[in-house]
Amino acid sequence: MTTTETMAQPGPTAAGAKPMIELVGLTKRFPGTAEAAVDGLTLTVNEGEITVLVGPSGCGKTTSMELINRLIEPTSGQILIDGEDMTHTNPDELRRHIGYVIQETGLLPHRTIAQNVGTVPGLLGWDKARIAARVDELLEMVGMDPATYRGRYPKELSGGQRQRVGVARALAADPPVMLMDEPFGAIDPITRERLQNEFLRLQQQVRKTIIFVTHDIDEALKMGDRIAVLRNQSHIAQYDTPENLLTSPADDYVSDFIGAGASLKRLNLSRVRDIEMATDAPTASLSTPVAEVRAVLLASTWTSLLLLDATGRPARWVNSRDLARAEKGTALTELGLPVEAIVEPHATLADALDELIASNVGCTVVVDGTGAYQGVVDLETIMTVVRTVRDEYERFHLAQKLAQQPADGQVR
Amino acid sequence: MTFAEYLTRNYDNLLELGLEHLNLVLISMGIALAVGLPLGIVAHRNGFLRNPILAGAGFFLTLPSLALFSIFIPVLGIGAPPAIAALSLYALLPIVSNTVTGLASVSPAVVKASQGMGMTGFQRLLRVELPLAWPVILTGIRVSTQVVIGIAAIAALVGGPGLGTEIFRGLRSQGNASAPNLVYGGTLGVIVLALLLDAAFVLIRRLTTSRGIR
Repeated sequence: MTTTETMAQPGPTAAGAKPMIELVGLTKRFPGTAEAAVDGLTLTVNEGEITVLVGPSGCGKTTSMELINRLIEPTSGQILIDGEDMTHTNPDELRRHIGYVIQETGLLPHRTIAQNVGTVPGLLGWDKARIAARVDELLEMVGMDPATYRGRYPKELSGGQRQRVGVARALAADPPVMLMDEPFGAIDPITRERLQNEFLRLQQQVRKTIIFVTHDIDEALKMGDRIAVLRNQSHIAQYDTPENLLTSPADDYVSDFIGAGASLKRLNLSRVRDIEMATDAPTASLSTPVAEVRAVLLASTWTSLLLLDATGRPARWVNSRDLARAEKGTALTELGLPVEAIVEPHATLADALDELIASNVGCTVVVDGTGAYQGVVDLETIMTVVRTVRDEYERFHLAQKLAQQPADGQVR
Repeated sequence: MTFAEYLTRNYDNLLELGLEHLNLVLISMGIALAVGLPLGIVAHRNGFLRNPILAGAGFFLTLPSLALFSIFIPVLGIGAPPAIAALSLYALLPIVSNTVTGLASVSPAVVKASQGMGMTGFQRLLRVELPLAWPVILTGIRVSTQVVIGIAAIAALVGGPGLGTEIFRGLRSQGNASAPNLVYGGTLGVIVLALLLDAAFVLIRRLTTSRGIR
């Protein structure tokens, strides 16, 4: 139990971080069961951060989350939101100020997308014009054209689109706090990846305080500013930043849960924007005369050149042979290879590596939010990061070994 | 007199009886709905009361119709009132049981999400559960209506209004050459009424069910 007690501390707080949600000794005992489902959960969640509750199924993570918006009433303990005790307030009123996203989405099938997104504002008594404006703003925010989608019904959307609407609906009344229960759990891996990235970008703008439940450690590492690894009865095994979780797991339970390939997983923690991408790749606009394009390529150390369209978006990769054909009259748009591997700066290195492996050229193109070219990431860049991480990791384990030799005490 | 001649001559009379019949059915259905829908909701929300309520509503359907009509004569006299009372009780079971089934078929995720957004229990019922259960409830109402249209013909035995009067008039004048015509005429009226109401239900269903769950 000593680990649980020490780990139950708020954990490392970033400078200036303000606690937004405080759970104090939260306990839920269902009638007729011997063990409490959630046993004395104490956790502090900082404002504007994503805190992930991760653990195997049945560990009480979903129950813990539902205690916070009191879909399940706690047996004992306290919930403080922004310093205010929410344990005995009106639960319906409380829930209107907490965004809620669940795995099955739970969109109301008989209401249009606009009506779904406008549900909570409607409950809060906003006037129609304000709700309509907010709905359009939110659909825009989650990347769905309001004119196309506002009048549709949930069954007319794909799973990924439904989950986008679910997120928009949770954000509708601009709640300071959001609870997300395996929000991307029922979505195919490719769409999930995209939704995760989009959500992280969205979070950059809205800066909500989010509690995110998942059983998937990779998702936890990717989404979380801070991660609570839970064992049975929602006992906290470790509450830490993703980096610390990977480099210094508190015990065997945590390192088992993280599983193999911790250094590969670190690629999930580094984002493209944090590393030095190559910006020296030769580029030219599609409208540039072929001779000039050729000159640019020749002047560089690269074997291929990236053609950009009129809005600065990557269009095609061409090499000198392609350009030779271009001089014989073939249009540039039909030459070379299409640019398939594209990531945005907030994508993780794992995403970039994934794209790179799947692509037909040895590098991934980085674009900004509007799709305009920023730079490229190649295998060498990623290898450098992996090497640094591995070195750090080995140094840490060496230190750990040395520390354990004199007394077999605890590391942390 | 051929049946066709009978029909042309008695058209007005049959139409009037048909309207009486319709009236009887609609009033009974109105009462059955006003009682059955809340009972169904209570049965859905309260697991303890569910079986007693369903068994109670089912009980009336097992009684012979003539007996049920007669039971009310001492209290309500003869004429329309005992007929309406009996028909309302007959209509109860399909409405109650389909309300329970319909409400139970609402996806738990939708219920949880509605609750999680801060709808009160009443708001959830009105805005989410009933609209989603509606197609199933409406089917129950439709079945009830069909049952009641048929049984309403027996109401004539307790002096009630409707097409039953014509049928029983025919049955009583056995031997008379026009007697079969009366029976057929009344029966035909019941059938036409049943078909018309069924068609009306198709229309009502289209108009009252959200495009999202059709």
